[in-house]
Amino acid sequence: MSMLNRRAFLTTSLTAYLASSVPGCPRPQNPEPPRWEHSAYRKPKQSRVAILEARDYERPLKETIHKGLDLFHLDVKGKTVVLKPNLVEYDPAGVINTHPSVIAATIDALHSRGASKIIVAEGPGHRRDNEYLLTASGLYDILKEYRVTYVDLDNDDARPVKVNSSFTGFPWFYFPETVLQAHLIISMPKLKTHHWAGATLAMKNFFGIIPSAIYGWPKNPLHWAGISNSIVDINSALPIPQFAIVDGIVGMEGNGPIQGQAKHCGILILGADLVAVDATASRLMTLEPQKIEYLAYAGQFLGNIRHSQIEQIGERVESYRKDFLVVPSFEHLKTPA
Amino acid sequence: MVEKLIDFLLKSQNTDGGWGAVPGKRSQTEATALAILGLNSVNDKVLAQPIEKGLHWLIEQQREDGSWPVTTQVTESSWSSALAIVALTVLGGQVPRLQRGAGWLLEQKGRTPGWRESVRYRWAPQTMVNFLNPDLQGWPWVPSSFSWVEPTAHALIALKKLRPYLDDNRARERIRQGELLLYDRMCDNGGWNYGNKRVLGEVIPPYPDTTAVTLIALQDRHTEPANQRSLQALVRMLEQTHSGLTLSWAIICSSLYSQESTVWRALLTESYGRTGFLDEAKSISLALLALIDERASVFRV
Repeated sequence: MSMLNRRAFLTTSLTAYLASSVPGCPRPQNPEPPRWEHSAYRKPKQSRVAILEARDYERPLKETIHKGLDLFHLDVKGKTVVLKPNLVEYDPAGVINTHPSVIAATIDALHSRGASKIIVAEGPGHRRDNEYLLTASGLYDILKEYRVTYVDLDNDDARPVKVNSSFTGFPWFYFPETVLQAHLIISMPKLKTHHWAGATLAMKNFFGIIPSAIYGWPKNPLHWAGISNSIVDINSALPIPQFAIVDGIVGMEGNGPIQGQAKHCGILILGADLVAVDATASRLMTLEPQKIEYLAYAGQFLGNIRHSQIEQIGERVESYRKDFLVVPSFEHLKTPA
Repeated sequence: MVEKLIDFLLKSQNTDGGWGAVPGKRSQTEATALAILGLNSVNDKVLAQPIEKGLHWLIEQQREDGSWPVTTQVTESSWSSALAIVALTVLGGQVPRLQRGAGWLLEQKGRTPGWRESVRYRWAPQTMVNFLNPDLQGWPWVPSSFSWVEPTAHALIALKKLRPYLDDNRARERIRQGELLLYDRMCDNGGWNYGNKRVLGEVIPPYPDTTAVTLIALQDRHTEPANQRSLQALVRMLEQTHSGLTLSWAIICSSLYSQESTVWRALLTESYGRTGFLDEAKSISLALLALIDERASVFRV
């Protein structure tokens, strides 16, 4: 038995089989009560999330991001930092990806703060043509301008890392060496709804660190194990410090993560507790975080989702909340008017 | 440009004989198989030693069950076995190894989602989230997962090249099923993406690189209207996509379909000058094949 041990495989397969109604992408399951080892618990007593106004991509974003990083006293001096944007696909008419301007501003801000090495890295889940994705999205020019290395995580060297929680049944995940050797990884997702998970934010963005050369395009074993389960186990297993900068300047509503519609919000969301960042981002999209399956699980041991345990700084959620449309199967996530 | 591509491959060969996805990375089955095919197409005795070393690496990596892993760090069998088989087929003299590889490939079947989807497909297809025939079984990326387009295409190319050694009903039936699956997954206006043509009622567009690889797998059915429609879709997509990987697969595909590709060859050179194909061994090897092997003999079945 390959990536799953026998017992876990049988349990997962049976549950996935019974729960499945979507070929290649079963609906999230309702497994037994969540399990995690003591070492996986990292929920802080209080988390801090910043909402920063950034009206559009034309105005300089470096200062905004710099100020945001100051709010967290983020120390990157002499460190290797991996930026993980969302580059799952490219559609010239769509808003699928983290905007290159946000990535450029973050590179600039990290340089100013003394990061010794900055790497932009992604493992696109659908497309194998990295050169096309980078050039078409505009990211290639940014990488060239800032002389920053890009690593294709789908084909990076990888090694297995033990999973300390058991939502999927995977005893380990292969993680890329580029990620494992970094001092910090910054998840840089787009603010989007998602037709299988409800929302795709900082935590779901780490699907992109799972190497597709091993897991496939799309990373189908993660779908069979349940998308929510996989989000939680990947985040729980990732053994390096994390931070998040969510591109919410223009987000995506409706049939995300690929075919939804653009939704202007004019914000960036920052934080070191990715669970709290995602909970706040969900509130901004008028989705109730406790109803989003992966956040409900993650809120038990990885971070905070309750409003009372999140110190909100910068702009107020209420001022920037937007009514994001969701696919009909996720209407129940919406905050009652 | 050809000299630069050869030079790149020679300089980036790992000491173990294989090639990584990019220089400095550990040897990988896909990159190694394509690199030795690329260098072999040059037909220069000077390249015999690196090809031999690459071949040796590939042979060393074959597992007991006949398959190949993605890299030396991964213990599981993988989709890249099909590419290893193609490489061994072209280089010749490895019949028992090829038969073991083909045996493994024939054992692999994509997982089906179950009876509910089958019923829905037959009686209420409009209610399906992903509109496709759920009972067809091609090849998965990872053993025991769903069938997807590209691993099915690679498996078909390998099995079709091995036909002289596989004259049995099982192979014929698997090839037939694989072809049916590919036609089922074809996008509405021709061409293929990773394997979903419609999701939640939305039409999903094709990708040019996947379309070219799939057309290569279906080259012996080139007169089918679906192939011709997909060929037209590929030409349309190439107006927007000028990457090394896509152009190389498209040129190889055009050779097999007796189509003109002079413009694409020029674009390939331009693209290399602009990006160096991101130093990806896969794209560089395929570009070498595209530029040198004008009959596309490596992928001809």
